[in-house]
Amino acid sequence: MPTGLLSVLSPESQRTVVPDGEVKHNGTPALSSMAPRLDTLNGKTVYLVDTGFGGSYKFLDQMQEWFAEHMPTVSTVRRRKTGNIFRDDTTDLWKEIKDKGHAAILGVAG
Amino acid sequence: MPTAPISTFEFAGVVKDDRRFHGLPLRFSFTPHPVVGMPGPVLRQYIEGKDPATDRPVIEEVIDALTKPVNGEENASDFVEVSHTGSRQVLLEPDTEDNLQRLFFERGWTDGLPIVLPTEERVARMLTGTSHARDEVVGEVFLFDTKEHVKFTVEMVAIIAVMAGARPEHLPVILATASTTHPSIQPSTTPFCCMLLVNGPIRKEIGMNSGIGAFSPRNLANSVIGRAWTLLTINWGYTRLKKTFWSSQGNNFAYNNMCCAENEERSVWEPFHVQKGFRPDESVVSVFRGWSLLNNGGGAARRSHGEEMILQMKALPALFSAATLILDPLVARSLKENEGFLTKLDYSRWLSDNVKIPVGQFWKTDLIDMLMAPLAQQGVEPYATWKRLPDDALIAPYNKPEQINIIVIGGETSPLWKTADFAHTVSAPIDKWRARTVAEGCSDGTCGLPDDDTVGHN
Repeated sequence: MPTGLLSVLSPESQRTVVPDGEVKHNGTPALSSMAPRLDTLNGKTVYLVDTGFGGSYKFLDQMQEWFAEHMPTVSTVRRRKTGNIFRDDTTDLWKEIKDKGHAAILGVAG
Repeated sequence: MPTAPISTFEFAGVVKDDRRFHGLPLRFSFTPHPVVGMPGPVLRQYIEGKDPATDRPVIEEVIDALTKPVNGEENASDFVEVSHTGSRQVLLEPDTEDNLQRLFFERGWTDGLPIVLPTEERVARMLTGTSHARDEVVGEVFLFDTKEHVKFTVEMVAIIAVMAGARPEHLPVILATASTTHPSIQPSTTPFCCMLLVNGPIRKEIGMNSGIGAFSPRNLANSVIGRAWTLLTINWGYTRLKKTFWSSQGNNFAYNNMCCAENEERSVWEPFHVQKGFRPDESVVSVFRGWSLLNNGGGAARRSHGEEMILQMKALPALFSAATLILDPLVARSLKENEGFLTKLDYSRWLSDNVKIPVGQFWKTDLIDMLMAPLAQQGVEPYATWKRLPDDALIAPYNKPEQINIIVIGGETSPLWKTADFAHTVSAPIDKWRARTVAEGCSDGTCGLPDDDTVGHN
């Protein structure tokens, strides 16, 4: 090697990217599909789900008031996810929404 | 179920990346950033105003997300990323010192400071600090945001140790720290920080400072071990801007993570690692994590030590009852000999009983609302009861005295202390990573024998 030059080792490690789908289904991607949409929100029940990030409850207060003022036939139900911001709900919230609601708005991440 | 998720625009990139991993193009709408701290009228304007990503009113997008028919372009299989392993260049192209320093910095491998370049010779010398093979896997970290599994070996840790300016005798502590797989920098918008504490005989063997100026920049072992942990964290991938690194202001502690040793010799109480179940003669590294630390500038002349510490602990969030008090030996001695606290846990219990704040202050703290209010929702006590109290009712938020950690460090020039919101997260043994001495290797008579243990036993 020419003088004055150094040969050094890289500090990088081996990285493997494993998307969630492959982790869950041992190689077969767990692909979901989008649920069919509603033809209208009028007359429907929409759950407003607070994910727990700071300020979400205030934002959803405003969202609920907006629907009451502008789309009064939309029934809104407030819920807060019982798991913390990093965890799933620990109750039957998603089942409740499927059984009693027509749609859900989740917020606000960030 | 038709769902309309909403995020602030600051995290639009995360949503885009996340689609590649889940294979599902969720119909996100984005508001301006931030939402937290904004008053009602501003949030109403967010809803009626434009999504910064599309220029369309957010409320229109939310309604469309729930009512516009799904089309063929939202087919999940078009988005999913498949697993793959990246290539790695082991030996870099030879170059000058200056160019290599610049390369390491530009590749994002450093903490911004010059490093000791990891030549093969230096790394080989560093590896004499452990008996473990260079290709042994020390651990694996998973980066949630990028779905990367990162395996790292003894050699990789030795490379980092060289970069940090460490010596071979420091390597066992650095390996033990690495083996916890805990990063010193968290992928959070908040200013997380960590502390690294060493207990046991290795402190003196490698010249760590637990006395005067233990947290000041004047000791090699304290400096380089703490620095190595952050360089490891960086090279695991935790500081990629807006991929894994989000801290809005950052935290200066990350330069060496308050790496220090407990002053076991001058402490009147049992060492921290013994409290956690290790033997006194075991060498152990412990990790603490939180956000805030209050230094103390006075020596409790008008109020007692306890009264002073209570004032400080009231100002900290009491998240999951965690606190860490770092006491100069003078303070520990006074608490034991003048006030009767025979053990660290006695004092933790006293603090637990005597720090009281209005419950409204507790629940209105952002961290508590985000991370502990769900416990109340789930009916976990005492939080469920605390949620039903009026705002001015007093509670003792540090309800688990065993989560109030007490460590004795300092040089006894003044009876001072530090109060932090740090939680103890993990402790790891150091001794298994040591270099084997000749005496150790031959203590059972097997050193020097060939691998086939049937030779000579016919």
